[in-house]
Amino acid sequence: MIIVLLNPILNATLIGGGIALLMGAAILVVFRFFSVEKDELQQELEGILPGANCGGCGYSGCSAYASVLADGSEKNTTLCTAGGQETATAVAAALGVKAGAVVPLVAHVFCQGTCEHTHERYEYTGTAHCASASGLFSGPNSCTYGCLGFGDCVNVCEFNAIYVEDGVAKVNHNLCTACGKCVKACPKQLIHLIPKHELATNVTCSNHWPARVVRSACKVGCIACSRCVRTCPVNAIKIEDNLAVIDQYACIHCGKCVDVCPTKAIHRGLLDGPCAVDEEKKAAG
Amino acid sequence: MKEMLVILFSVVLIDNLVLSRFLGVCSFLGLTKDLKNAMGMSVAVIFVMMVATGITYPIYWSILAPINLGYLQTVIFILVIAAVVQVLEAIIRKAFPPLYKAMGIYLPLITTNCAILGVMLINIQEEYSFISAMMSSFGAGVGYMLAMFLFTGVRSKMEKADIPEFLQGLPITLMAASIVSVSFMGFKGVIENLFG
Repeated sequence: MIIVLLNPILNATLIGGGIALLMGAAILVVFRFFSVEKDELQQELEGILPGANCGGCGYSGCSAYASVLADGSEKNTTLCTAGGQETATAVAAALGVKAGAVVPLVAHVFCQGTCEHTHERYEYTGTAHCASASGLFSGPNSCTYGCLGFGDCVNVCEFNAIYVEDGVAKVNHNLCTACGKCVKACPKQLIHLIPKHELATNVTCSNHWPARVVRSACKVGCIACSRCVRTCPVNAIKIEDNLAVIDQYACIHCGKCVDVCPTKAIHRGLLDGPCAVDEEKKAAG
Repeated sequence: MKEMLVILFSVVLIDNLVLSRFLGVCSFLGLTKDLKNAMGMSVAVIFVMMVATGITYPIYWSILAPINLGYLQTVIFILVIAAVVQVLEAIIRKAFPPLYKAMGIYLPLITTNCAILGVMLINIQEEYSFISAMMSSFGAGVGYMLAMFLFTGVRSKMEKADIPEFLQGLPITLMAASIVSVSFMGFKGVIENLFG
């Protein structure tokens, strides 16, 4: 072979360059023959999506999500969590559908064990932080699942949406932006984000103890009696580990469970005071 | 035939690509969160490994080796693998859309997967025949798949475990990976007994 006679450096350059050129040419040819015309709509959607390919939507990347949106097999325009509402609106506009609402969420404190309903097991004199109080025998509360009321959540809230009243944190839903900081801050994990609904009905208790123990610790705790489960017309309530839980997406906000709850553990309406509809009913009735 | 079996078993179990040679660990840690991803990546790896071996092997032995350019193998192989993956992606997208959907974003990811390059280089180093090299690539891919599946199982168990806060995330994943890897050391010596 002739190249054997050439200079070794020249050989390497020629062979390396030659293979690179060949590969480049092969790619060009293949792409010419195997090009797939992309849907215009899909391309537009791909431009709108952030392009981070995070997979947060449940598809294997932004282009995958764009393609299912474009061919209509996925109707939900709000799946992109990275892009948020802005992206959802833009996607909906491109598809010509109504701008889907990214379901607004609101923080909710799953405890109503105020000072009058619970008692203290010991006198706590440490630093006034939930985290440190929680570290000492799970805090002074008779219910060790309950709100400690030192306001770690209040401290992290940048929107002044949380306040402590009577030893229990409460969320003003008008100010809450569902940023989730309080959810992380609560050492008892009492705060969850729930779909924002005027009449959101929640078992506002997080206690997993059996009924007898709950009763001795808190007057408004869930005793898992299952009355709400039987009453619920849409089977949205389940008892999970001695605690009734309402599926917020299945709930029709009829309020029947509120009436049957023997301990008044189920609370209706968002927790910044009595909600408007109940007030109207009172006025009417 | 016996030689093929020895190669197959040794690359799958004893010299397992991920757990013994520690190649392709990034995708091993990144894509074992659920079985679907692990499956997609593994199938794509097996596929690309076979095709890439089919191309790099003749390039080395018929072009590079005769004119003493063996030292160029790493550079040339990277080039070839990247090009092959690009070409394959285009062809699959056009000709087999369902397969393209199944492999999704994993195909381009393989371009930078050290496991592929590693197997190419090992095939040359061991001076396998072409058939043996193909068998070794296939076995390496299967071994990768085995490691992915095993570790996906381990991780799904770990999700339910109560892990101390300072170990959560990557630390516990790496520790679990090392334990799985240690378990594969038990296969050393098995081949001699299996095939005499």
